[in-house]
Amino acid sequence: MIAYIIRRIILTIPLLLGVSVLSFGIVQLAPGDPTALMMDNPGISQEDREAFLEEQGLNDPVHVQYVRWLGDIVTGDFGESLIYQGTPVTELIMARLPNTLLLMVVSALLAIVVAIPFGIVSARKPYSLTDYTVTTASFLGMATPNFWFGLVLIMLLSVHLGWFPSGGVATLNEPFSLLDRIHHLILPAIVLATAETASLTRYTRSSMLDVLDQDYIRTARAKGFKQRKVVYKHGLRNGLIPVLTLIGLMLPTFIGGSVVTEKIFNWPGIGLLFIDATFQRDYPMIMAITMISATLVIIGNLIADILYAIFDPRIEY
Amino acid sequence: MKKISKLICTLAFIFAFSLILTACSSDSGTTEDNESENTQEEKSEVSNEDSGEAQQGGDLIVGNVSAPTLFNDMFSSDVPSDTIEGFMFDPLTTIDENLEPAPGLAEDWEYSEEELKWTFHLREGVNWHDGEPFTAEDVAFSYNIPLNEEYTGPRGSHFASIESIEATDDYTVEITLKRPDAKFLFQTTVYDILPKHILGDIPVSDLDEADFNTKNPVGTGPFKFDEWVQGQYVKVVANDDYFQGRPYLDSITYKIVPDKNALLAQYQAGDIDYMRVSQSDMPTVESLIDQGQAQLEKVPDLQYNYIGYNLRNPIFEDKKVRQALTHALDREEILETIVYGDGELSNSPGLPFSWAYNEDVPVFEYDPEKAKELLSEAGWEDTDGDGIREKDGTKLSFSIKSGQGREVREQITQVAQQQWAEVGVEVTPEIIEWSAFIDQIHQFDYDAYVLGWSLTADPSITSYFHSDEVENGLNYGAYSNPELDKLMEESDMAMDQEKRAELIEEAQAIVAEEQPYTFLYSQNGNHLFVPQLHPNMHSGNSYYKIHEWWMEQ
Repeated sequence: MIAYIIRRIILTIPLLLGVSVLSFGIVQLAPGDPTALMMDNPGISQEDREAFLEEQGLNDPVHVQYVRWLGDIVTGDFGESLIYQGTPVTELIMARLPNTLLLMVVSALLAIVVAIPFGIVSARKPYSLTDYTVTTASFLGMATPNFWFGLVLIMLLSVHLGWFPSGGVATLNEPFSLLDRIHHLILPAIVLATAETASLTRYTRSSMLDVLDQDYIRTARAKGFKQRKVVYKHGLRNGLIPVLTLIGLMLPTFIGGSVVTEKIFNWPGIGLLFIDATFQRDYPMIMAITMISATLVIIGNLIADILYAIFDPRIEY
Repeated sequence: MKKISKLICTLAFIFAFSLILTACSSDSGTTEDNESENTQEEKSEVSNEDSGEAQQGGDLIVGNVSAPTLFNDMFSSDVPSDTIEGFMFDPLTTIDENLEPAPGLAEDWEYSEEELKWTFHLREGVNWHDGEPFTAEDVAFSYNIPLNEEYTGPRGSHFASIESIEATDDYTVEITLKRPDAKFLFQTTVYDILPKHILGDIPVSDLDEADFNTKNPVGTGPFKFDEWVQGQYVKVVANDDYFQGRPYLDSITYKIVPDKNALLAQYQAGDIDYMRVSQSDMPTVESLIDQGQAQLEKVPDLQYNYIGYNLRNPIFEDKKVRQALTHALDREEILETIVYGDGELSNSPGLPFSWAYNEDVPVFEYDPEKAKELLSEAGWEDTDGDGIREKDGTKLSFSIKSGQGREVREQITQVAQQQWAEVGVEVTPEIIEWSAFIDQIHQFDYDAYVLGWSLTADPSITSYFHSDEVENGLNYGAYSNPELDKLMEESDMAMDQEKRAELIEEAQAIVAEEQPYTFLYSQNGNHLFVPQLHPNMHSGNSYYKIHEWWMEQ
């Protein structure tokens, strides 16, 4: 097991290298450059823009830029932002990454805690009223765009009822308070979790239905075990195995979803930073966030694989 | 019951709008017209109906969709940074309600024609936020930064006309120019003075990375830097020592809310006191005003929007074609329906509230018949009956480009497509991601495009229409006219303002006649704020005399 994990970690190196080559190439292929946004500013001349590009080494051939970038990365230097001139990319990212991770982890937990029980309830009494209600809610959840859902929640719960803050991570001009933080976290976490909760519920339901149909469940029932024990001890453990894969794969979805949620709720995470960096062609920033996301996704998959082994004794590494 | 139906209305409204707006539209962080760097306004200074004496105290929360980048005027180029710099720093002179230079750190100034020399007399007794006295050395230091060969920021060309800067005593600065430059005095309204005692020892090549820019800026302005929390807010607090008196407000928090719908929702929830709203938000804004939750101030922006033509494309060579295109476009309707009437038609590159504005320029009003005539005169006829005019086997057919995320301009391309089709011109709108769009314009890879210019208080039009500005400047359409070139050069050297206004107005008339652009309209800036706030603003500055802003307690 340990050997397997080490092997997997070593394998991530060529993987990340591949990701970096691809994304560096794609980013450079995009037309325009970081000075495009200075362009219709009458205070900045074309010569000034050229000087900026030269100074930043952006006029060099792509492979030269890549090798230089890679060299810096190896020494842990992700470079300086082209938009926040002179500020190291890592400093900007580290100021926001905790916010994104917090939001992602809380949403993931929320999704798991809500989805699995509902999925099981649905599966225990398929085609009942409960099942239909849960199913309908799931489809609604999947179909609701989260920017719309977020705005509706803000209008309803913040503007009209005043129960929740309308955005941000904490109340302005007030000292730190854990309760205040949690209060701010609730709405964005709900919004980010909605779609994942919905699909996770569906997966749990179908996976459980599958399992509850198996011979060994019938055997367990025939032995006279209580229904609870059959479902939760024999069924759940087997039924959750495919669900685990999904949880591992939730991570990339969360990274994507967090961009929108962060924007609506004014949540200062890396999703927003990434969008801005992309539109402004802030190359070092785009690359740094891409690499971090790639790493997170690889870690997510690794965790899913390890959990597999824990939950399914048939799997050995 | 009433409340519920209102709620439903609101929800329906959000739903409808959110379907149209994608959550990721990219209107962030650009120095683009609708948030112009020097948002200028008309003569009348806006201030609230006086409701009594100004009161001390209050924390103002300003909301904006884009974030600042750094607080050093010689290196920043975005609107939010510039705004916050305005709270903490002072320039040598300021722009007043008439868009003319007024005393700032300099009390008065004179110009010597023979010596090409400006002399600025500085205010005495001004202190930096750290208590050090402000002197002429600081001015000389600041203006020398962009002149240094090691300078890496984007403002070099603005200081190119300076020969030398000298602090002759503690409170006198002499600036000698290489050539007469009428625009120079306006540059002194733009650039903040930086503290030499803090930045003086840092090599100019490293100034862009100085901690000063992001961690502890020190200025002479009405507010002192307090805190910048990345992606959330920047907070400044009152400077008790401000040379024009302590501000009434205790602090200003500049809050960043990247989504514009969420920004308005935050205003409604009472989390923001002051923000700019766009025309499409007017229905919500009006209901807020009706409920007594808001006041709105409309101030004309220092900007105009236009359709530009690539004059390297033979189709547009003949000015009759350009005039015909303007005749064929119902600009009134565009202003009424797309911009909700919130602006004024433009017919030239001048702004009505500027001291240099020619009211009497040729106007090409909406007249499709006239447009058809002009096109026929220019030799474009529909000979094969397909509804599109041809000349020498070329169809009168072209594309019109616009940058993504600017909904108003996207709609303008569609109106142009329809209306121009009626006079036999085939047009294809192309909406392109912003950076790529700018790149294509710059490479002359376009036929026509919709864009806007945000202007400075100085009315010179040289940067946009001079033939020297084609390759490396803002003359994107490659318009070239020796007569106009000469006129604009003269206007840039005319040190007498009346004489200069005359020359600029003459140039405006030529541009209006030639129509290198179809001039569309200049828009209003809509400033929304809580009823307790008493702000000042004009076209040149939406945070005018910020130290005099106050809030009812």
